[in-house]
Amino acid sequence: MSHIETVSAFVEGAPPGELADVVADIKALTSEPNIVAELTPAFEKYNEEQFITLKLPGSSQPVLISSHNSLGGGRYYDVESSSSFEVDHASQKASAVQSHVLEGPQADLVKSTLKSLGAYVKEHFPNASLGVYPIESDSKLAIIVVANKYSPNNFWNGRWRSLYIFDPSSGSLEGSIKVDVHYYEDGNVRLLTNKPTHASIPSGTGAGIAKEIASTEKKYQEDLNKSFVSLSEGAFKGLRRQLPVTRQKIEWDRVTGYRLGQDIGGGSSKR
Amino acid sequence: MAADPFDSALDLLRRLNPKHTSEHLNAIISLAPDLTEDLLSSVDQPLTVKRCRQTGRDYLLCDYNRDGDSYRSPWSNQFDPPLDEGGVGGVGPGSNDGAGEGAIPNERVRKMEIKANEAFDIYRELYYEGGVSSVYLWNLDDGFAGVVLVKKSATPGTNTEGVWDSIHVFEAIERGRTTHYKLTSTVILSLSTNVEGTVGDMDLSGNMTRQVEQDLPVENDDSHIANVGRLVEDMELKMRNLLQDVYFGKAKDVVGDLRSVGSLSDGAKERETQRELIGSMKR
Repeated sequence: MSHIETVSAFVEGAPPGELADVVADIKALTSEPNIVAELTPAFEKYNEEQFITLKLPGSSQPVLISSHNSLGGGRYYDVESSSSFEVDHASQKASAVQSHVLEGPQADLVKSTLKSLGAYVKEHFPNASLGVYPIESDSKLAIIVVANKYSPNNFWNGRWRSLYIFDPSSGSLEGSIKVDVHYYEDGNVRLLTNKPTHASIPSGTGAGIAKEIASTEKKYQEDLNKSFVSLSEGAFKGLRRQLPVTRQKIEWDRVTGYRLGQDIGGGSSKR
Repeated sequence: MAADPFDSALDLLRRLNPKHTSEHLNAIISLAPDLTEDLLSSVDQPLTVKRCRQTGRDYLLCDYNRDGDSYRSPWSNQFDPPLDEGGVGGVGPGSNDGAGEGAIPNERVRKMEIKANEAFDIYRELYYEGGVSSVYLWNLDDGFAGVVLVKKSATPGTNTEGVWDSIHVFEAIERGRTTHYKLTSTVILSLSTNVEGTVGDMDLSGNMTRQVEQDLPVENDDSHIANVGRLVEDMELKMRNLLQDVYFGKAKDVVGDLRSVGSLSDGAKERETQRELIGSMKR
């Protein structure tokens, strides 16, 4: 593997909110002076896959970027603000804002989906961005929800990403929900999940899509919470006991004089 | 001023997916070969198991029982594959820092190593009810040092996997009737589940490190094993609780911070009602 492939893989694996830290580490580890410029394709891939959010100049409302709202040439568009903008992938900054009005056969469905989904997102995500974009020559809709919470002072960061593709001709809604949590105080612990979803929306309306996404995500979070419990009660408990069967700590002075198979299990002779 | 490459390498390993630490470590080494030895001796990786040719018992491999491509079995004290006579291996009294140099303890410390392996084999059976353990000791100028290793894998369901690696590195600095112990413990814990239809893919992996230092009385060499045993036992209990909090408490809480199961406006309304209630009671 070439050096640029190696460091590109590091960029791709950066935890939520920690890309700048990963890049600083990469700079210290390579002597190549143009490394950041060479990493532009990796930054672009990371930003589009992670649905990075950024603020347009003069606006407080964050907008997200993805391959689905890319106009090519480093420009992306946002439906809500009817604007397009240029993105510097290395610094994650937007500039050169222009008017961009969504037109075409799916424009109404895009707007009604944004409205219905916006109400759901507001009710369940304290800090999320969403986007709905016509894709594949106006034949389908890409629907994206991304929520970030960064707390580097407490050594944790998290991201929730959902992507759904709606096909109006068949009414099918295919998607995936991904959660990424990083905790790194005196260690490095990572939760990574991926849940594929399948549903059909016979009504084909924005309200129908939003209702299905709301119930899918509710069910998923409940399943995820149950899974934390079952991993804790199952796999974790099965690896190491909290105490030996005798419920007492080991008598080390005796262990050093005894052999396995004899009575050393923590003071049972006292009974 | 540029950051220190070694510190940056450690910082990077603290950020990238801990499930693939070994791959990331190799990638960093390919970028900065000068850091190879320092990184190999300070980054904990999941342990691998090997069967001792002489005794048929399993033992664990780490940098502390390695010499080149050979590893020393704690059960037979033999390297596998055997070292060349007069080769690079074997550490003389001048260079005895253990890692990657095939340090062979002297007779007194090897005797303690044999007893420590027996003691931690019992410990492993009582706490892990399975798995593999190994203890390696080496001499220091003013005492000795060692590493206690335990590995356990479990597959409680067909869709669930768990692996636990404990790596306890310690120094015992002998000062007459007391000894100063310094213990650095890392647990690498990887849990994953894949249930189609409900949760899909879920991976909870990572490592946590803690240190403790303590002066303890010593009567004879058996006291050392009992002292290290207690230190390791207390540390593992503490770390097990910590891992439980982080893996199943903190991680779940962060998901709850990203998305609220209940409605946020209902929650806000409830808090407002509560505030009014408390306010009216105060009046």
